[in-house]
Amino acid sequence: MTGADVVVRVLADEGVEVLFGYSGGAILPVYDAVFRHNAEHGNGDGRDAMPLVVPANEQGAGFMASGYARASGKVGVVVVTSGPGATNTVTPVRDAMADSIPMVVICGQVPTASLGSDAFQEAPVSNIMGACAKHVFLVTDPGQLEATVRTAFEIARSGRPGPVVVDIPKDVQNAKLSYDGNCRLPIPGYRARLRAVEQARLGDDACAAFFAALAQARRPLIYAGGGVIAGAAAPALRAFVDAFGVPVTTTLMGLGGFDTTHPLALHMLGMHGTAYANYAVEDCDFLLALGARFDDRVAGAPGKFAPCARFIAQIDIDPAEVGKVKRVHWHHVGPLAAALERLTAHGRAHGTRLSLADWQAHVARLKRDHAMNYDRASPLVQPQAVIEAINRITQGRAIVGTGVGQHQMWAAQYFDFRAPRQWLTSGSMGTMGFGLPAAIGAQFARPDALVIDIDGDGSIRMNLGELETVTTCGLPLKVVLLNNGGDGMVRQWQKLYFGQRFAGSDKSLRRKDFVKAAEADGFEWVRRLADKAALESTISEFLAFDGPAFLEVMIDPEAGVYPMVGPGASYAQMVTGDFIAAREGDSTVMEAAPVDSMF
Amino acid sequence: MKHTLSILLQNEAGALARVAGLFAARHVNIDTLTVAPTHEPAISHLTVVIHGGEATLEQIVRQTRKLVDVISVRSLGQLCDVGYLAGEAVRSNAHGHADNHGKWQQSV
Ligand SMILES: Cc1ncc(C[n+]2csc(CCOP(=O)(O)OP(=O)(O)O)c2C)c(N)n1
Ligand SMILES: [Mg+2]
Repeated sequence: MTGADVVVRVLADEGVEVLFGYSGGAILPVYDAVFRHNAEHGNGDGRDAMPLVVPANEQGAGFMASGYARASGKVGVVVVTSGPGATNTVTPVRDAMADSIPMVVICGQVPTASLGSDAFQEAPVSNIMGACAKHVFLVTDPGQLEATVRTAFEIARSGRPGPVVVDIPKDVQNAKLSYDGNCRLPIPGYRARLRAVEQARLGDDACAAFFAALAQARRPLIYAGGGVIAGAAAPALRAFVDAFGVPVTTTLMGLGGFDTTHPLALHMLGMHGTAYANYAVEDCDFLLALGARFDDRVAGAPGKFAPCARFIAQIDIDPAEVGKVKRVHWHHVGPLAAALERLTAHGRAHGTRLSLADWQAHVARLKRDHAMNYDRASPLVQPQAVIEAINRITQGRAIVGTGVGQHQMWAAQYFDFRAPRQWLTSGSMGTMGFGLPAAIGAQFARPDALVIDIDGDGSIRMNLGELETVTTCGLPLKVVLLNNGGDGMVRQWQKLYFGQRFAGSDKSLRRKDFVKAAEADGFEWVRRLADKAALESTISEFLAFDGPAFLEVMIDPEAGVYPMVGPGASYAQMVTGDFIAAREGDSTVMEAAPVDSMF
Repeated sequence: MKHTLSILLQNEAGALARVAGLFAARHVNIDTLTVAPTHEPAISHLTVVIHGGEATLEQIVRQTRKLVDVISVRSLGQLCDVGYLAGEAVRSNAHGHADNHGKWQQSV
């Protein structure tokens, strides 16, 4: 067999059920091997064993793989050609790294003899990706190819997950090889560190210290991040909360890690978190950070974050995250689910009972008195009302992808998330253009699920070509475009911090007709909605359509995202806007912030 | 404050660039960098001198340990190494090359 056959065989052995990618000269042998593999391994139902989903742009393939990985927990796989094919995947690779998403990217490369010669479609993939990915391999010895591809999967999914790039020169793809079936590369340092972390178990003393501090607390709070989802720790978190009654707020990446409809759920915290979650952070005297990293969108002013917390505990799989931003008093590095199970068992075995009734009542009051709200009386369609209308039908069970901007934050705030892996968003990188391809990838992971892309007019433009991919693949995806005539989030900052000078962010005079665009790409159900009275009926028709559907909603262009904790500000400086009640003494309007102190 | 890091690195394509790139990306300036062979041809020994505070040192050591081809990292004369990480585990590992780190440490 050839090197290309070896690559495909390893993919099959690793359980890969779909590939996202775009062909080209330097990867043709692998594409041919995929074709032959599918010809030989038909499912009998006419579907390919390893279907190849071809995007409009390799960035789309990368985000499809990311959406697939986020929705399934499995490794998303991208196969692209050298040079421009590879560089077009840089953004999704970095995005996956920043959000800890397991991905393997196979890139074709010019033949080994041409490496470094400025050959046609040559790019220094190892250098470029080395700076962005969890790891990158350049395979120059065909004898190492099989072990390398297999090891790439091991690295992508182990520890803190991330993207691994395998750069394969064309001559290596064409080499004559035999298949071993098991070989891996020696990576002794990585494996030893991984083993140490994965085998780390909380000892009795550590558990006792944890509960001694928790027992002292009157107002404990759990701050749960994406690690709860990556670490499959949602059931363990739920069991911990059931046992001890500690309220939970999650980060943007942690949404779904704890059922947002639970009475002790405070939804999201941070820059655009709920007012009640942020107040609870202000009030708590004990903070337990689970797979969360005190990112600047959560702790913009680390020194003032959770100012009353006398004890901060942290559990993470990544040793580098412990104490990186905020000093903690207790920590454990290891798999989150096992650690939480151990804590719950220890607490139960020692008959730990916390008297948190006052705090729980306080939290319930915060949720009631500072509930999310918006301009319900406006004659214009409010974006929050669109999300609420969808959520009334989907009941927190849909898979939701987003672009980046205001629409992303409204979706985060106003959807319920009952379970992990329903929320696909570019959290750390904040990459516009993520939503549509990520939703496509998720639909491949969950063919029977209702997958909805909530997109913005700016974001969707970035990968608009993927509309056609939806219909080509016959996916029943639902695309909601919240059109506010421009880059709303940028406009919001320009309103707040730049004297309403809307440099480059106003697109109200642009001529794009999104309805025609969707129709041109083969969407059968396409509608533009501007009439508030028709909202509910349109949404239910839209969601009920059996096939790809596209709904453009012309929303109030002045709608803002609130609450807001300004960049670099403390939660005490949170502004809640005109429709959410602030606590006595707190302001509802933004104070002018010094422009140089923010990002 | 100056700190010296001793790093054992697998001799893979681009490995040195990844270490240097990590320091650059994390805004840690390298004052000096020496690369030397070890008795094991597949492994190089890097000595990196940086300057920065304790927090910078601790963070860059931990980040360096996340690089796949890094076998072990020692911060010479610093206490930041006593954490959870597996310098020890590496040393007892079957490949044996990390012994080099133990020996080298004693000679300092
Ligand atoms: C690729 C990329 N470029 C630029 C930005 C900066 N940015 C953040 S939000 C935003 C505006 C997004 O506009 P739109 O998608 O219409 O969303 P809206 O805020 O209007 O809901 C921009 C330009 C980004 N996040 N990603
Ligand atoms: Mg917009």
